[in-house]
Amino acid sequence: MMTTAHKYAAEQSARFQEQFCDLIRIPSISTDPAFAEKVKQAADWIVADMEKIGLSAEQITMPEGRHPLVLGQWNGAGDDAPTVLIYCHYDVQPAVVADGWDTEPFEPTIKDGKIYARGATDSKVHVVSWLKAVESLLATEGSPVNIKLLFEGEEESGGDTIKAFVAQQPERITADTVVISDGVIRDIDQPSITYGLRGIVTMEVHVQGPQSDLHSGHFGGVVHNPVQAITEIIAQLHDENGAVAVPGFYDNVAILDDEERALLAESNMLMEEEWRKVANPPAKWGEHGYNMHERIGARPTLEINGLYGGYTGEGFKTVLPASAHAKISCRLVANQDPARIAQLVQDHIQILAPQSVTVSFSNVDVNAAAVVLDREKSAIKAAASAYEKGWGKKPLFERAGGSVPITYDMLKISDNLTIMGFSYKGGTAHGPNENIPISSFQNGINTAIHFLQDVNNT
Amino acid sequence: MTTAKTYAAEHAEQFRAELHALLKIPSISTDPHYAPEVKRAAEWLVDHFQKLGLEAELITLEGQYPLVYAEYMGAGEDAKTVLVYGHYDVQPATMEDGWDTAPFEPVEIDGKIYARGATDDKGQFFTHVKAVEALLKSDEPLPVNVKFIIEGEEESGSRAIKQFVEEQGEKLAADVCVVSDTSMAKIEQPVIINGLRGGALFEMIVRGPSQDLHSGMYGGTVHNPLQALAEIITQLHNPDGSIAVPGFYDDVVELSKEDREAMAKIPWDNIDWAEETGAPLAWGEAEYSLRERVGARPTLEITGMAGGYFGDGFKNIVPAQAIAKISCRLVANQEPEKIASALLAHIQNIAPPTIQADLRFVSGAPAVLVNTDSLYMQAAINAYTDGWGAAPVFIREGGSIPIVAGFQSKLGLPVILMGFGLNTDGLHGPNEHFSIEMFHKGIDTAIHFLQEVAAVPASADATEGEE
Repeated sequence: MMTTAHKYAAEQSARFQEQFCDLIRIPSISTDPAFAEKVKQAADWIVADMEKIGLSAEQITMPEGRHPLVLGQWNGAGDDAPTVLIYCHYDVQPAVVADGWDTEPFEPTIKDGKIYARGATDSKVHVVSWLKAVESLLATEGSPVNIKLLFEGEEESGGDTIKAFVAQQPERITADTVVISDGVIRDIDQPSITYGLRGIVTMEVHVQGPQSDLHSGHFGGVVHNPVQAITEIIAQLHDENGAVAVPGFYDNVAILDDEERALLAESNMLMEEEWRKVANPPAKWGEHGYNMHERIGARPTLEINGLYGGYTGEGFKTVLPASAHAKISCRLVANQDPARIAQLVQDHIQILAPQSVTVSFSNVDVNAAAVVLDREKSAIKAAASAYEKGWGKKPLFERAGGSVPITYDMLKISDNLTIMGFSYKGGTAHGPNENIPISSFQNGINTAIHFLQDVNNT
Repeated sequence: MTTAKTYAAEHAEQFRAELHALLKIPSISTDPHYAPEVKRAAEWLVDHFQKLGLEAELITLEGQYPLVYAEYMGAGEDAKTVLVYGHYDVQPATMEDGWDTAPFEPVEIDGKIYARGATDDKGQFFTHVKAVEALLKSDEPLPVNVKFIIEGEEESGSRAIKQFVEEQGEKLAADVCVVSDTSMAKIEQPVIINGLRGGALFEMIVRGPSQDLHSGMYGGTVHNPLQALAEIITQLHNPDGSIAVPGFYDDVVELSKEDREAMAKIPWDNIDWAEETGAPLAWGEAEYSLRERVGARPTLEITGMAGGYFGDGFKNIVPAQAIAKISCRLVANQEPEKIASALLAHIQNIAPPTIQADLRFVSGAPAVLVNTDSLYMQAAINAYTDGWGAAPVFIREGGSIPIVAGFQSKLGLPVILMGFGLNTDGLHGPNEHFSIEMFHKGIDTAIHFLQEVAAVPASADATEGEE
């Protein structure tokens, strides 16, 4: 359906794509303090664009020293019109060519109709799609709803600022409807709406043995090697059925009813196909008794995200290392309490730890619980209609494996909330050769325009 | 008349300044980035030997680090010949490892020289260089011929010297070989090592998904290679601390009652152990004493492991692969190749079908036992008694010196492991150091050794070199 706003978007598509690439070129890596200035530079870019298209814009930094939150507002629909709040994040994961990239991660490269770059799919496609949808409306027919764009700069690194902002100044972002625009749809041509998100708990585990690295000849055999000790602990965190072996871990997990299992089964085959394309390990693995969709979206996990100890450079350094370290994350489902899970995991690891080493924890983050949204409210219904018109196909309903920590906080603003993703799983978010199809960017803009035009009438 | 020991005492400062110059060269043989530095150390040594009046040369075998060879044959054809072995390469070291001073800027603090290589092995082999200099420059004669063979790959498999001994061993013909690359527990009680463990090095890679995956989107559906690696490593040991690889202990020579009694004479109690390691609780094979575990029992250690993201912050991925570096210490009569086959078979057996595990055998060397009843050993005992000031005791050590087995078997040489280091010198770890007092006592002991060897009767040679 071609409205004047959609015509404008079509005419401006080359410039929109240029702007998208401009933002991608800024390596706004929030997990590494060395890139703090780049995150700020990306925030400045967004503020400048918001002001140009007619929004009032500001940066919010709280507590001091964190990455800025960008808030853009347009109240031209009047006091009686409803307000839509749209959340996206403009920060990205680290990336270097050595990770296995075929092209420079921060130099967008177009191949086969896709833009390859870190942040292309996670999540600058969303930031720019909404900016350009709003521009298209304001430059033509105007918007029937008031708009607040809230773009976060530390989604990949804990999100302290937005949490503090929502907790301390929620009145500044009151809204009738909330859109969290992040994440993927089922496939490039098959939109889907995620109504369930896993929560997440992260922590670092440190196993200390001797006070410093020792000669492995002189001390090997009389000191419990911390690398060995940490593997002994990790090997006991799962049972032989692929289930997490931490006592109490599954206590509060919401059981799936038959109706929902049937809904999830609808897209299980598509998920398996994609899994074979993207992951393709030698064999399947996972918790016995659950299909792939359920393992990803409806069952909690415990993963080791990083593990290191000793010397791993070229050649050998024959040491008995002083310490070994692991980064662990748990993906949670409804109704697991993150703080309780973090405690259970830590307690269990301490019980597993042999007396010949000492175990400690750091950076324990328990801020993101799992979420299941109400599919009957207007936000999700409007999103379904917008996808159908903007993307050209009815969306599927899914539970996703990833976590969007902000969902929990946004539910405090309004529970009339929908998640709208424009990227796809082949986009390899967080991995090398991240990419987004140009068509997804264009569909995203069109879908976003439809949503803003229609949300008030759904 | 100036004796050699007087000369050495008068030139103590100069000797240490020269050692500092050698220690400043980061001749790390395990990391190819340092290849020019390894060569620079070799050239420094050739130049140094030539300045002392020795014939010296670099011996470079295709694709390997040069051997430094030097000889003094001025004692004549009828005199004994001593072969001195050492190594000028060192282990890696960076400040981030926990050094208090720059590892390649030697400093002297509280009577110790701090630098990578100070005790392993630049400071130790250099004592023999300075002993030869002291004898040559003093009014005493150097009563034996001396050959030096100093290698640059001891920390990385010793390939060049193994090949050289195999192909051109006659160049190293001698009556006895002396090696200073070992250590003692206390300065008052010198030690001669009569057993060295062998070694075998491996790299393992565990591969899972074809690329790093988002742990939210795929976590729970692929066997995480880090978890799989942990599960494999865990199955390399039994709960009692013994190695769980079938066949690993097959060829191990059990300790005799005499062996155990001899080792019990130098006890290593839990208090000393705790002070040296700082670890909370001793670990290992319960039916063996601490001393036996490091000297007479084989081990399997993970010397390094890495996978996934471990920079600042978090990266929520399931990584595509994980690696581990494995170092086995072997005892008599274990064969490295046989151990490699056993480990490979075990890993293939325990690796789950959800990942691919590959093991690469990097290098290996068998263990060494030394005959303690020879006249040359008596010469070494006398040298410690006069040069160090105390009679040595015999101990089996945990470390490995790959070429020693080759000197014994290929060249038929009796080998004397005349170490001048301390167990607490921090070799391979941060803040490696060498006691200045022990450096100078080592030089005196080395001088005495050369003189004592000259006094060994000619008839001794027929029966030496046999195990």
